Amino acid sequence: MRGRNHKILVNPQLCRDCQTCVLACSLYHENVCSLSLARLQIIKDMEIYEFNILICRHCDQPECVLACPCNAIQVNKQGVILIMAEDCNQCGLCALNCPYEAIFYCEVSGKYNKCDLCANRLGGPLCVELCPVKAITLNIETASARRD
Amino acid sequence: MTAGWVGKILDVDLNTGCINHRDTMVYAEKSIGGRAMAAWIAWEEMPAGIDAYDPGNIIIITTGPLTGTLAPTSGRTIMSSLSPRVYPKPWYTHSTLGGWFGPALKYAGFDAIIVRGKSETPVYLDIQDGKATLVDATTLWGMDAKQTQLALKAKLANQAQILTIGPAGENLVRFATVQHSEDNAAGHSGFGAVWGSKKLKAIAVRGTGGIPIANPNGLLQEVLNQGVFKVTPCNGVLSSQKAQKRRPICSQACTFNCFVGEYAHTVEEKVIPIHCIGGTWASENGMKKTKYTGGSVDVPAGQNFGFCEEATLHEECNNLGLDLWFRLVMQPWLIGCIQRGVREIKGYPIAPTDIFWFDDFMHQLAYRKELGNIFADDLLRAMDELETELPEDLIKLGRELEFCFGFPAHREGRFWDEEPLPFWVISAMMYASESRDPTIGSHQSSLLLADFLLADREITRHQFRLLSDKVWGYPDALEPTFENKAPVAIWSQNQHMLIDSLPLCDFAFPQLVHPMEDQEEWKMTEDISGDLDIDLRLLTAVTGVRKSREELTQAVEQAFTLERMLLARAGRSRNLEEGLAPHFKLPCRADGTLVDETGFSRLLDEYYSARGWDLKLGWPQEDRLNALGLAEVIPELRHLRSKITP
Repeated sequence: MRGRNHKILVNPQLCRDCQTCVLACSLYHENVCSLSLARLQIIKDMEIYEFNILICRHCDQPECVLACPCNAIQVNKQGVILIMAEDCNQCGLCALNCPYEAIFYCEVSGKYNKCDLCANRLGGPLCVELCPVKAITLNIETASARRD
Repeated sequence: MTAGWVGKILDVDLNTGCINHRDTMVYAEKSIGGRAMAAWIAWEEMPAGIDAYDPGNIIIITTGPLTGTLAPTSGRTIMSSLSPRVYPKPWYTHSTLGGWFGPALKYAGFDAIIVRGKSETPVYLDIQDGKATLVDATTLWGMDAKQTQLALKAKLANQAQILTIGPAGENLVRFATVQHSEDNAAGHSGFGAVWGSKKLKAIAVRGTGGIPIANPNGLLQEVLNQGVFKVTPCNGVLSSQKAQKRRPICSQACTFNCFVGEYAHTVEEKVIPIHCIGGTWASENGMKKTKYTGGSVDVPAGQNFGFCEEATLHEECNNLGLDLWFRLVMQPWLIGCIQRGVREIKGYPIAPTDIFWFDDFMHQLAYRKELGNIFADDLLRAMDELETELPEDLIKLGRELEFCFGFPAHREGRFWDEEPLPFWVISAMMYASESRDPTIGSHQSSLLLADFLLADREITRHQFRLLSDKVWGYPDALEPTFENKAPVAIWSQNQHMLIDSLPLCDFAFPQLVHPMEDQEEWKMTEDISGDLDIDLRLLTAVTGVRKSREELTQAVEQAFTLERMLLARAGRSRNLEEGLAPHFKLPCRADGTLVDETGFSRLLDEYYSARGWDLKLGWPQEDRLNALGLAEVIPELRHLRSKITP
């Protein structure tokens, strides 16, 4: 677990269903605006007017990594959990075992997708930057904080 | 196919059950999209001389190139049809709604839907990823708007986005809405009744597709440059409230801190979003603002029933599928009855300040029962029915409250918002030339600037001169006079058409004024002008098509002129528009200014001339049509003129 320090935090009670995070995600990763091709989802329960944000939290003890029979899910130095598409056999065990339901099967590409914190983007995850109400935030733990 | 579009229009014939696909680009290439695209379709396909409930009437549901993209506030849908609300006879008009339906329609592979004909039995239209099916809706018929949505979500998918009518639409209430989600509606134009007449209960859509973006990085950069949680340019600057994190939004991709939204709790402690007029119901002082005394007209204050009670009523009103605006005219009018000693109408007792009576009245309206059956045809038609039974001043009051062809008065400087000179003059020109209350879609186009004038006349007039010079090319465009206001009215209407066509929200765009966080910042700002090219940049990033401002203006003027031709086709002309004059003879509630019939006629002259319309009928002249590239409509125009002046 060495070097793990990036965590997504969500507060669904702040969410107001603008879907900006989802649209920005699909635009950045897939060059289209779509709610199905994003690496996160907003789920609304109309009966009680409540929302849920399904996005990978980049857990300390990731169930998806343990569940994957192909070692196709890896954790990088920043603690970001990534799917190595070339190693994935599309068995779906990662998605089944994710406690946050945050790994999504894309019927168009036939691949499993998950949040990669907008890998390689200098400004960090777009969903965090564009959420107008800070319902999604990024917590970067310092090394000293982790030692404590 | 151009990026921003998904390529197909769904054409549904309820007479035969046939469903066809058409090419979006046939219309998208000659319009911008949305309302402008609908105007082209209506001009070509809407039969002349029919009633709103005639099976030949068509419902046109359109999106624009920005719908469903990341462009801020773009998740809007436009609905157009013949309106049963319009008085004295139906004509073509539009309503727009926010929410999530339009985006979902595009993700499912369709840019628009045309519904024609009439089903024998209740049906709903089920759309999923390129396929559309008409499904029996017998079990849904009778359900309210929320029940219908929950039932369809349970049956189809939780993420399905649904347009539906409530009981009011089923029972042909002339101000019935088409509802979506909790609080979104095509509300003002009574299209719910058109759906009801066609036995169309709902349209459910779900799609897994995406919208191609020509320049993804350009769109992202534009959105990032705009920033998030900015106060909408005019709205909110003068509020003492600071930004709050918890405000509901009413449209997909909206990242603004918009002051027209708020959360409420019903008496059952449910949290619900309320926007705009719903907020007025729930605000302690909101309903009191209906009070107006001027000329020989006395509009009583409405009565608020308490925050949670109002939230509950508001939710019921939406679920019944009634236009929330009915409350702003009917409750004051009914209170006026009580004040004049009229305590029953046609034998039915009235008690408009009793919440239980009012709740019952809403249900009577939606189900066309008892007293509700009279008022379900709207206040204006109810006045015709009650003309011989009630005191003359009550009948006059009812007619004044819906002075604009059956639409509730709004931002015209008298009965509701305070529009000091020159804003009510701009508003009057718009009322006289459009198919419906024109001010709902033009808040940021100019009308909200009135609030600045009311806050500090000295600061504002200086700011306005700079702004006017920059935007309209002459410094006195917003001077408190009656002259030379047509360019502002026309500009506002063009902007309204543009944001209804891209589409964007009129509480955020156009950014005539740049977003300012509070009143102090506003007072310290000399040049309040905003960035008026955001729309162009968004359009270019999404579609890849680089249009000039002049090309966009040409397209919106074309569409506006087609709408005017549709009005001419329905028999609307200057004669009817002169009929609005008495309303503007009432003193403005903000500054007491007014205009007599002669003055109103001068306003029409100035406006018609600026538009290139003739002064006799107010219809487009042939040279103007040629200049707009609309030579194809000239033969019908000649025919229409020949029927009036043989």
